[in-house]
Amino acid sequence: MAVGTPLPGAARSPDDTSPLLRVEGMTRHFMVSGTRIDVLHDCTFQVARGEVVAIVGQSGSGKSTLLNLLGLLDRPSGGTYVFDDVDTTRLGEGRRSRLRGEGIGFVFQQFHLLERRSALANVGVPMVLGGVPVLRRRTRARELLESVGLGHRLSSQPHQLSGGEQQRVALARALSREPALILADEPTGALDAASSRMIMDQLLAQAELRGAAVVVVTHDPKVAERAGRVVELVEGRTR
Amino acid sequence: MLRSLTAGIVLAFAGSRANIARTILSCAGVVVGIGALILVVMGSDFGQRYAVAYSEIQGGLPATLQVSVSGEISDRDALEEDLYRAGGEQVSLYQTPGDLIRIRSGDTAAPDVEFRGVDAELGDIRRLDMAQGRWFSEEDTESLAPVLVINQSLADVLPDLARVQIGQDRWVEARVVGVIADSNMDFSWQTAYLLRSPASEEILFSAPESEAPAEEFGFPMGENTYVVRVDPEHPGTADYGGAFAQTLASAGWRWGVTDPEAIWSYRADSADMLEEPLRYMTWGLLGIAFITLGTGLLGVLNVGLVTVRERRRELATYRALGATRFTLFVAVVMEAVVVSVVAGAIALAGCWALGSLASVVVTELDLVPPGVDVRVPADGVLLGLGSAAGVGLLAGIIPAARALRASVVAGLRE
Repeated sequence: MAVGTPLPGAARSPDDTSPLLRVEGMTRHFMVSGTRIDVLHDCTFQVARGEVVAIVGQSGSGKSTLLNLLGLLDRPSGGTYVFDDVDTTRLGEGRRSRLRGEGIGFVFQQFHLLERRSALANVGVPMVLGGVPVLRRRTRARELLESVGLGHRLSSQPHQLSGGEQQRVALARALSREPALILADEPTGALDAASSRMIMDQLLAQAELRGAAVVVVTHDPKVAERAGRVVELVEGRTR
Repeated sequence: MLRSLTAGIVLAFAGSRANIARTILSCAGVVVGIGALILVVMGSDFGQRYAVAYSEIQGGLPATLQVSVSGEISDRDALEEDLYRAGGEQVSLYQTPGDLIRIRSGDTAAPDVEFRGVDAELGDIRRLDMAQGRWFSEEDTESLAPVLVINQSLADVLPDLARVQIGQDRWVEARVVGVIADSNMDFSWQTAYLLRSPASEEILFSAPESEAPAEEFGFPMGENTYVVRVDPEHPGTADYGGAFAQTLASAGWRWGVTDPEAIWSYRADSADMLEEPLRYMTWGLLGIAFITLGTGLLGVLNVGLVTVRERRRELATYRALGATRFTLFVAVVMEAVVVSVVAGAIALAGCWALGSLASVVVTELDLVPPGVDVRVPADGVLLGLGSAAGVGLLAGIIPAARALRASVVAGLRE
């Protein structure tokens, strides 16, 4: 990143009211055995900086597809997606990867921690990709794990952690590069009620602390009701 | 770009460390392949050094001829002058005495000693490893007593080297100035070199009472034999050194030998002759080693392809966390390279240990000339580690290309 270019989401002026992300007329279709399947139709919405938005909808309504598009893991078939003032639809693959690494943190339903690596190493991976020096990386990873209550499990590997603990490691990993946006795909889907509550508490608290926006895809009404706004997807259309 | 490269390398090392079983599995084939390659280079290097040493001890440095003239020489000085004129750069007598010489020290006599009459120049023509003392010098030719250099086997049976006598009909005091290291490549188990000088002239060139020993084998070195070192490019080296005899024969009238058939010369050193078969053998063995290495490569490639398929979720996670395609490409290729280089280093260590053991054995059993040991040469190290890195690179590229093609979204769903 060039000198003088601010990190996405970082050091914004308090009166900066421009939306963090803006989706206009986004569509996505897939070709399956020569048949076109339209998953998203004309989706339009925006998310402000620091806002918490829940995306809800029935299975097959396109929630995960939308999340993949917002996370720059997939490309829309049509429409515009502006993230942090950058029109992502025109970006090359390398620039999209860097923007994703710098500006977006993911929390997955199945955690997606790297096996046979310690919690500390897992949290450090995005910082390795960001070129953060090793000592700073370790210090920061330790601080993040302590902030989610896992200071005593630094060297534990994923199989040695409970589901709730694994998700907290994933949350610490998502926060490691101070992203402007945290995308959470059913973050409590694999957890019991107590762990779900704790994860949501920590996700929202950490996001608020860092000024990050949260977009959470969920089936769970208890999770959705904690969001500031709910976007409903019905048959691929936002409401 | 640099950040992606660095990140790829860091991830590769972390991946290799985290997946020990995969790393060991990939290593095995490469260890065998690289080990075979290094062993071939080691063997070839040892063979070449052994051949050179053998040739230099037995025959002489490259382009050494043994020249024999049968019959009575009327003017030995003229013959020796013509040996230089014919192209000799260094010339030494290499004469089997006309009659049997015996040697003793006090009451201990050594009955089966092979003597050769030589000049000090032989030290420039042949490789002589001194165990004690020194080789002859020009000053020794002025000694009033015959001067000797003997081999270790002979020295071991003589109780006092300061009190040595040699003789045929009568005993004369002789001076031993040096002992050459024992080797089974001497012309006899117990060997003595007698320096040609006024003091030894009579012993060396006395008329034989019986037939010269070499004649028993039909070998034309009994009467007047020299070793002559010429320039390797000299035309006299043609026809295995036979051309030199023809040139020399043209001046035979000057020293009383007019029959060209009475003059022989041939290449005494065998380095050139051994070079070609050694080269073919090395190429053949290298071919086998590369086939073995190719099998190792296929093994690493196979493990790489399987693991990329198994690791789709892990690789997709890296992509989701911001890894560029280039970073992942570097990570997957570097993992293969790291594994292969580690395997190469293991193979190198194994070959080094094997070489050290073999060196001790062949030295202890006195199977090789002095100074010829079994070791991993520098080009073996370079070839081994370079090939290991090359194998890793080749075996890593295809899995890396597959890793790049995989869909991130599909990988995250697995």
